[in-house]
Amino acid sequence: MNMLRASTLILALLSLMLPAGSPCAQAPETVCIQCHGSLQDKLGAPVGLWRTSIHAENDISCNGCHGGDPKDAAYAMSPARGFIGVPSEVDTPGFCGRCHPGVLKDYLSSAHGKALGNGGPTCVTCHGNHDIVKATLSLINEKSCTRCHSFERARIIRDAMQGTEASIQGIGERIGGFQATGVDTERLAKGLFAVRNSFHSLFHEVNVTRVKSESSRINAELAKLDKDLRAIEDARERRKVAGAIVVAGLLAAAFLAHLLRKSFEKR
Amino acid sequence: MSLLKRLYRFVDLRIGVGEITDKELTGYLLPRNINGWYSLGSILLFAFALQVVTGMLLLVYYVPDAEKAFQSVNHIMNGVPYGWLIRLIHAVGSNTMIAVLILHMLSTLAMGSYKSPRELNWVTGFLLFSLVQGISLTGYLAPWSQLSFWATTVATNSVSALPVAGPGMVEFLRGGKLVGPSTLGRFFALHVAFLPLVIGVVIAVHVFLLKRTGISTPPFGKGDTKNAWQGESYRYESHPGGIPFFPDFALHDLSSILIYLAVLFGVVFFWPTMPFTPDAFVPADPFKTPAHIKPEWYFLANYQTLKILPNELLGLTVQGVAMTFLALLPFIDRSPERHPLKRPLFLALVVTGIVLWVGLSVWGHLS
Repeated sequence: MNMLRASTLILALLSLMLPAGSPCAQAPETVCIQCHGSLQDKLGAPVGLWRTSIHAENDISCNGCHGGDPKDAAYAMSPARGFIGVPSEVDTPGFCGRCHPGVLKDYLSSAHGKALGNGGPTCVTCHGNHDIVKATLSLINEKSCTRCHSFERARIIRDAMQGTEASIQGIGERIGGFQATGVDTERLAKGLFAVRNSFHSLFHEVNVTRVKSESSRINAELAKLDKDLRAIEDARERRKVAGAIVVAGLLAAAFLAHLLRKSFEKR
Repeated sequence: MSLLKRLYRFVDLRIGVGEITDKELTGYLLPRNINGWYSLGSILLFAFALQVVTGMLLLVYYVPDAEKAFQSVNHIMNGVPYGWLIRLIHAVGSNTMIAVLILHMLSTLAMGSYKSPRELNWVTGFLLFSLVQGISLTGYLAPWSQLSFWATTVATNSVSALPVAGPGMVEFLRGGKLVGPSTLGRFFALHVAFLPLVIGVVIAVHVFLLKRTGISTPPFGKGDTKNAWQGESYRYESHPGGIPFFPDFALHDLSSILIYLAVLFGVVFFWPTMPFTPDAFVPADPFKTPAHIKPEWYFLANYQTLKILPNELLGLTVQGVAMTFLALLPFIDRSPERHPLKRPLFLALVVTGIVLWVGLSVWGHLS
């Protein structure tokens, strides 16, 4: 009887410990994607493009830009529920700038922004409209730029910024690596975020001199972050040396205890 | 007479220290063919004590509040001098302790040491195994990270598959419909107060039973490997002419504990991410489910069993039956033979069980 109770208790305890099921629960798709995703024509094409975008990667869905109600098919495109639809060419920067106000400001003050409405490019000209890619220097390329003008000046700007972008990316990866092992990287991540923002503000700059001087300032900031990261790396190395000494000491002590026991066995 | 000797004589005259030493240390004789596997129990005692000490130290800075828990652990890892070391010893130590516990159980199985009159030793040992898994699970939630939050969500959710009482039990465990601050409070209380106390008591019972039955003789290096106990009356298994516990086997225990520590520190210093995934360093977010949340390695076989079987209730039942079989093994296996090679059916079952467990764990890890 007591054993029955014990086994019942064990079963109950075990049942409390068993992990189960698939932990991964995908967010339900919006009605926009359900409807447009099934369409084969140009009304369905944006869904496929969006799936490859930086917006999809960050869970920014159709309603994030176009408004409307993503949960109610009947009112999904109702202006009463905030549906905006497709912006006109001149409204496009303002459309994107609702979420990217800093970039909008940089764009409007640039040669590109000043040519808005007069044949100048809008955001989607370079960044795409649904297959929006992460803003990197690879967007400044001969094929894209020569649609409107020569690549000469753009090449100089890109070359000046290329090293800085690689540094930002490298430091970002190092911070991410430390963050994934429990290092408090909040201050470093914020520092990099500020540097990256300054750097991105240059993406719409066409003044070569300013790009070069700003790149130097940004590189100096990156050097400070690099120094902090090196300090963490050095501390990690010192820990490993200490660890090696501790482990070797413990193994030597274990061996000594073993030898001592052997001497008692002989006695 | 030196001061030390006078002090010893003072204590001995009053509480008989010399008698205790004779009886429990130098006069406590162990079988001559005792082997290294017998040290695993001492290692486990040490490992549990280490968990208690490091846990107490962590309590100095840990804040069991859903709003502050993650930051407090972050502070321990980065701001408190050697906090990272204490936390890593505690986190890695829980894993190494379970690994040693499994080895201890396997050696007991292989040497037939669970057989009469040691059924209760096995049952209390099995209970300790379950309790240690429970204390590990409740400790998992403490850092309030994405890993903690979602692993606890998944683990507690499985209880809902139990008929009738399941949903109510889940709510009772969580302190609400979902994992939240109430769950942290409950798990924290279980982890730092209730379970350590229960484990301490069961360890005491386990050691008491060991002292009353005596150490079993290993079935190796001797002709007759059958269990000599007939069950007619209580008998302490003594080992006349055996080796003394102190200093001989105590040095063996010390050597084993130092090797255990070397392995533990090896992981702490050279593989500190062993008990963690990157999600362990992201604050819990109930609105964002991470892509791949998996339980600790010792729960992977359970996890995979539940995944491959058609429904969770069947999975729980299969595991419950398997665990009950293991818990009650001394009452099922009544054969007197103890040598593993003279028990082919038993050996085949053990090997199959190990292969199945490892296979399911690897499958669970890769899936």
